[in-house]
Amino acid sequence: MAKARKVPAIIDNPMSFCPGCGHGIVIRLIAECLEELEQDQNLIFALGVGCSSLLGGGLVTDRLHCPHGRASAVATGMKRVQPENTIVAYQGDGDAYSIGIAETINAAYRNENFTMVAINNTNYGMTGGQMSWTTMPGQVTTTSPLGRDCEITGNPLKFPELVASQFDVAFAARGAVTSPKNINKLKKYIKNGLEAQINGEGYSVIEVLSPCPTNWKLSPLNSMKRIEEELIPYYPLGVFKERKEN
Amino acid sequence: MGDMIKGNIAIAEAAVRAGIKLYAGYPITPSTEIMEYLSKRLPEVGASFVQAESELAGINMVMGAAACGVRALTASSGPGISLKQEGISCISDEELACVVINVVRYGNGLGTLYSAQCDYHRETRGGGNGDYRCIVLCPGSIQEAVDLMATAYELAEKYRIVTVMMTEGALGQMMEPCELPDFIEPKKHPWGFDGKYTYKKIGIFDRNSMDEAVELNKKHEAIKAEEQRWEEEGLEDADYVFVAFGLPGRSVQGAVKELRAEGHKVGFIRPITTWPFPEKAFENVNKDVKGLISVEANATGQLIDDVALTIKKVIKDRNVPTFCLPCVYGIPSMKFTKEGLHKIISGEIKEAY
Amino acid sequence: MREIVYAGFGGQGVLTSGLVMSQVAIFKGQNATWIPSYGSAMRGGTANCTVKYGKDTIYNPAQEDPDLLLAMNGPSFEMFYPMVKSGGIILVNSDMVDCDVNVRDDVKVYKLACSTLAQEIKQPRGANIIAAAAIIKLAGDFSMEDGIQGMNDMFRKKGKEKFEAANMKAFECGFNAV
Repeated sequence: MAKARKVPAIIDNPMSFCPGCGHGIVIRLIAECLEELEQDQNLIFALGVGCSSLLGGGLVTDRLHCPHGRASAVATGMKRVQPENTIVAYQGDGDAYSIGIAETINAAYRNENFTMVAINNTNYGMTGGQMSWTTMPGQVTTTSPLGRDCEITGNPLKFPELVASQFDVAFAARGAVTSPKNINKLKKYIKNGLEAQINGEGYSVIEVLSPCPTNWKLSPLNSMKRIEEELIPYYPLGVFKERKEN
Repeated sequence: MGDMIKGNIAIAEAAVRAGIKLYAGYPITPSTEIMEYLSKRLPEVGASFVQAESELAGINMVMGAAACGVRALTASSGPGISLKQEGISCISDEELACVVINVVRYGNGLGTLYSAQCDYHRETRGGGNGDYRCIVLCPGSIQEAVDLMATAYELAEKYRIVTVMMTEGALGQMMEPCELPDFIEPKKHPWGFDGKYTYKKIGIFDRNSMDEAVELNKKHEAIKAEEQRWEEEGLEDADYVFVAFGLPGRSVQGAVKELRAEGHKVGFIRPITTWPFPEKAFENVNKDVKGLISVEANATGQLIDDVALTIKKVIKDRNVPTFCLPCVYGIPSMKFTKEGLHKIISGEIKEAY
Repeated sequence: MREIVYAGFGGQGVLTSGLVMSQVAIFKGQNATWIPSYGSAMRGGTANCTVKYGKDTIYNPAQEDPDLLLAMNGPSFEMFYPMVKSGGIILVNSDMVDCDVNVRDDVKVYKLACSTLAQEIKQPRGANIIAAAAIIKLAGDFSMEDGIQGMNDMFRKKGKEKFEAANMKAFECGFNAV
């Protein structure tokens, strides 16, 4: 039987995400994990630019709206001066993996002790659906009107796999918001990432495959279906770097 | 008297003593000794040093630390400061406090390694996108730079603004005796993040730009009223007044002294803050002054614009000619300044405005 | 106020020669500035620094009218000898400067085989200290004792007191050689 849960205290105002967007689910999961880990009153968000910016108006927590792509550098500065705080960089794929790839990858490279949650919806949502580095081959966007041609744009980037294989990070995983089962798994990943940070194990990244019905021009249900059928085969779900003590 | 110490090292140690909790930056000549020194020094005092992957990352790390209400520093030179403008604009927009050191080198683009003052306009006009200013401090000696370091943070925190310490390649690389200041343990600011959301803020989409503009102008006016700093001499009877800052400012002081001894009625204004520009100093200028002369280490003349605009505010009944002596790079010799005056008097050098 | 240019190629230690001078002046309660050429010179090639000292305020720390020049190699001599003030002094390291040095009637030129002397006193790395001491003597503002004390004070503060005996030997050698 479904259990009623109260809204976590750090989520205050409604955030104006589009109908069927996945951000809300992820934010809810992060907030629940933080409450369960008793970190919700010990928390600073470094927010990316894009749809992530909408968190700025909805959260009642310390949060800084970072320059586009730089949240991981900002989070580095925060964590270095206040290691006792839990720091979460919350960014989309365009923010974290395109304009911010240098800051994102270098934070992982240094194994900075904070947690990044990256919402991968395979496009730039806020600016109206342009191609990003995670756009799928052949995917039509406003800047790949004939479908993404990977011959000239490169192949979709798999960030958690990259850092898990190349760097000594604490935890790297990918989840999705397509089903209660996947959402429960995602919550475990987020919790693991936060625990890794609290224990001082180093950098943790959780990428989330998340629907963008508005820009995909699909219904919310068909958007979920797209993730299941098209994205997950390319972007596998699971843990790519397990925490050492687990 | 203190021992001989290199400018960059002295400034870095002064920052440590001002209580910085984080330095993040990227190497670039002629500023690099600052980060090299701090890489060893900051861990000794329990503060953080990050060699950032880029200038961009460096300023954003500073932004993160500044958001937590602690003192943070980055340093670079012209091209690196260009890259930092995004962060400086955002830090200004968020009304956070930090200090950025620009050890200026000459040139556009990649530039050169010569000492210069060619970043004057960029630093005094904000530098990044939008509509903001940074407080700009321009020391003329290593001692002054060191003494201004704590001031730089106090001003940044009082007004919640970015303070730019604009030095020059030569000041960073030279040595002279210097007394280092005492250690300060700064208080964490109430607006700094503590993880408990004790300082409330609104989301970016709920901000009101019209109201903020009023506040911004109030802040700028308060800074202009309270924080002008300069050194002056011989203004009251001067036929010609030199205006120069930093090491050129110091060299001009020497030239003015010699010119006075030779019978010329000259004076000088050495701005220590170039924003706010020391307009008050111009009120002390002889109302019958024949001209004002900027001496600056750049090619095209930048300080001259502020000199011309400011004297226009003070002497309204006539146009006081303003002249520019740009030495391009380096420190203008006292000879250069003196010869410049003779060329101005003889009419060989025409007024800029 | 006294102005001295120290010039040579990178690695000859001319920046240290100049620093010794400035530190001696400070040690004796005077003002001093030391300003190097930097950048490309740090990565090989020529190196030079300008030292100014005196009881009064030093306004311009950069090169203006040198009273003295130390030229540790030929290119440095060629570059800087025209800038020396009339009535000034040039000290050349005759081990490295083999061009005609009698190119000006209005300055006094001294030759000192700094590297040879360093070998003779078995301090092969001491040529720059020998030169520094000779310059201090030629400048005529400080005694040998002041010079040695100022130099020792500087190296002690740098944690290099283990070279003190060697440096003093080189200093005495240079001071007495001109």
